[in-house]
Amino acid sequence: MKITLTVNGTAHALDVEPRRLLADVLRDDLGLTGTHLGCEHGICGACSVLMDGEAVRACLVLAVQCDGRSIRTVEGLAGPDGEPHPLQRAFSAEHALQCGFCTPGFLMVAAGALDADPDLADKPDAIEGVVGSNICRCTGYEPIRRAIARAAREKRETTA
Amino acid sequence: MERWTRREDERLLTGKGRYVADIHVPGCLDAAFVRSKVAHGSLRSVDCAAARDVPGVVGAWSAADLPDLPPVPYTLLARLSTEEAVAGREWPALVKDRVRYPGEALAVVLGEDRYRAEDGAAEVTAVVDPLPAVVTPSAALDDSVRLFDGLSNTALRGEAGAPIDPAVWQDAAAVVEATYRQQLLMPSPMECRTILAVPEGDRLTVWSGHQMPHRLRRELAALLGWSADRIRVVVPDTGGAFGSKSAAFPEFVVVAYLAVTLGRPVRWIEDRLESMLVATRGRGQDQTVRLAADAEGRLLAYELTINADVGAYPHLGVGLPMQTAWMAPGAYTTPHVHATLRSVLTNTMVTYPYRGAGRPEAAIAIERTMDLLARRLGVDPIELRRRNFIPPDAFPYDTPTGRRYDSGNYAAALDLALETVGYTEWRAEQARRRSDPDALPLGIGVSCYVERSGGEPGGLHEFGSLEVHEDGTVTARCGAAPSGQGHETVFPALVAKTLGIPEAQVRLVEGDTDEQPEGLGSFASRSAQVDGAMFQQTAGLLIEQARERAARLWDLPVDKVAWADGSVHTTSGDSAVLGLAELVKATGPLRVESRYEAGMAFPFGAHVAVTEVDPDLGTVNVLRLVAVDDCGVVLNPTVVHGQAYGSAVQGIGQALYEGMTFDADGVPHLASGFLDYLLPTYTEIPPIEIKDTCTPSPSTPLGAKGAGESGCIGTPAAIVNAVADALRIADPDLLQMPLTPDSVWRAARAPKHEEGVR
Repeated sequence: MKITLTVNGTAHALDVEPRRLLADVLRDDLGLTGTHLGCEHGICGACSVLMDGEAVRACLVLAVQCDGRSIRTVEGLAGPDGEPHPLQRAFSAEHALQCGFCTPGFLMVAAGALDADPDLADKPDAIEGVVGSNICRCTGYEPIRRAIARAAREKRETTA
Repeated sequence: MERWTRREDERLLTGKGRYVADIHVPGCLDAAFVRSKVAHGSLRSVDCAAARDVPGVVGAWSAADLPDLPPVPYTLLARLSTEEAVAGREWPALVKDRVRYPGEALAVVLGEDRYRAEDGAAEVTAVVDPLPAVVTPSAALDDSVRLFDGLSNTALRGEAGAPIDPAVWQDAAAVVEATYRQQLLMPSPMECRTILAVPEGDRLTVWSGHQMPHRLRRELAALLGWSADRIRVVVPDTGGAFGSKSAAFPEFVVVAYLAVTLGRPVRWIEDRLESMLVATRGRGQDQTVRLAADAEGRLLAYELTINADVGAYPHLGVGLPMQTAWMAPGAYTTPHVHATLRSVLTNTMVTYPYRGAGRPEAAIAIERTMDLLARRLGVDPIELRRRNFIPPDAFPYDTPTGRRYDSGNYAAALDLALETVGYTEWRAEQARRRSDPDALPLGIGVSCYVERSGGEPGGLHEFGSLEVHEDGTVTARCGAAPSGQGHETVFPALVAKTLGIPEAQVRLVEGDTDEQPEGLGSFASRSAQVDGAMFQQTAGLLIEQARERAARLWDLPVDKVAWADGSVHTTSGDSAVLGLAELVKATGPLRVESRYEAGMAFPFGAHVAVTEVDPDLGTVNVLRLVAVDDCGVVLNPTVVHGQAYGSAVQGIGQALYEGMTFDADGVPHLASGFLDYLLPTYTEIPPIEIKDTCTPSPSTPLGAKGAGESGCIGTPAAIVNAVADALRIADPDLLQMPLTPDSVWRAARAPKHEEGVR
């Protein structure tokens, strides 16, 4: 089935089997291996990407469902000049990653939340909800919460 | 580099990490395995014909189609197994005639991609005649159902310490007894197991998320009948391991064999469903304990009896329960300690190291029992521990079970933990609530653990090297293979500090058997303790060589040449100075190889949990968790505290949420994956405070002990003790992990103990 997938701002004309998962098309057809598959049943969230700005599990979405949609992956987080996203800097500063396998998923759900709500920094419950949506087996989550809060504060300060 | 806390961070945060599944090899085939739906049965037939007709399928094989397929290798490393245990109990890589655990592979299908391979796997048919299954050691012990015809299910018996004179129990002022179930856990790294085997000429390159690349190379070479130098094992980024990624698994055997046989790249990227069914398990012990004390609360004797669930094959981890036996005494001066064990085969995937690996089982048993004894004696559990701690001046301390603890100050860790949590205030709050009929009961639990890190004798060494280049940069190599521990950051910093050069000048290469010909790997919390000490020693050797070279160059005795800040200079105070770069330019390539052997180290700590229990709902709310750990000299506090925090959360997982359950036929309840097996999420994380004390290990000049397993070892008993304290239950057997609402609700309805009644 022929579809057009816009990924990190670049349009790709693809011919994909209807059964193929978005995650597999991103990884295998487009070589964007930053999106990781952790459970393939929608629980862990390692494969989270943004579809039209909203976080989705790329293991629960068929690529054909994304025809004409805009997808953002971890490879598209940094600025056009390569400047790291505030979340990327904050995750490192707070030691919010160890093995790094779940990290792209956390970054993307957090990026979606940050984009959707400029006042996220003032909403600790909302930040906790974001952290609670994915699974990490290394860090114990608290460093991830601190990192998202830090990036949210930074973002508000730069846009204020 | 300042922008990133760790050198690993930039690539892992930008999607440029490289895990095995990310490696693209043209023409690579994906493997999918056809798995048994029953836990135990006789295999009558497997038919792969229809699978071979599926478009995109390259081949499909059962064991009958691959008569030369080697069995799964076993290891006697670190006394994990014995020849006697393994004899007659071969683990075939594909089932030959008997299914012994659910999910055991009946056939393999190779496809052009995983979709095609799974299409093929769906067409394979097999006939298995089910047999009764036994999934706990207690059920398997009587041999009424045998996994291997003519052989007992008990694969190994072991003991530590000497049998205790019955008079000791008879004469004791107090004796308590209990039984504990250490449930089966899934290590659950976020990346499941991976292997990619690429034949090139007469060699095979194997990429795997793995903890012991040199062991994998050795085992694959042996099963292929090759010399080890024909195999290169490379460990790229690895998405967590926690002890579960150090073997050559059945699927690895099949993939390597088929890659070589077909002359094509083959990979197996385990998915979560497979992992939950057939990845190795941790823990799995049924324990009974007996602890005696005199009227003053001095411990007299401790007896631990273990029936360990080692899974369907004794090859791996059959000796793991010995870790529990050796560590049975914990932090106390108990004069008589006797631990006995039976390693029992069951119809489950094999038990194997999982973060803590035998030590949590020991710590949980003694620490739960200390609280039980304190209740019996009517003394504060803190006071009971203080009366029996091995004192700081008693080290090195020989335990009755044959361990020699290197150093410790157990009371200092406990003091800091109590002060941090506010012990007195919480006891006051507990008393207040006990007089308030509307208040939820509150409990405080402590757990003072001692563990062993570094490995066992014969496996306490590591290999490495330092190579100086003409630009003055240094390449450090070692046999370790990390899975999130930050080696690329920590080791270069240590080498740079020892040499007195900028960190940026040192780079680490590891996880590649072609780069580093010999190595042991990453296990038993050995990164800082063994690898760190190895690098410190190697840097010292490098300095010596640099001084000797400069002495020859300058025609001086070596003692007239000194080292400072990355340069050699004369001690006479003249202007002769040579940096590393100039020295190498003047005297040729400089590479120092080393093999360093550390002693065992015994990290320790004190964890305190405060819990609130709702007796009507059976829920446990952890209000506070304080973990004080002592792993000797810490190389990088950020990394060590990060590991301690994550480890504590895994400890919470064991205490409250995680555990395998089975249906009557021995098949695990996993239909809903991570909705059946509950890993802690952020919602379950209480306020946790991590602190440390520092008692250096005398067994290496560096003084580091192992870090990272502390939470899995220390936290569970603190939480269970806190719940028991809140409910004041008289029968400890009512609280078995995980403390689900169902079990807590039942325990809350049981008779309570009375304060101060002996």
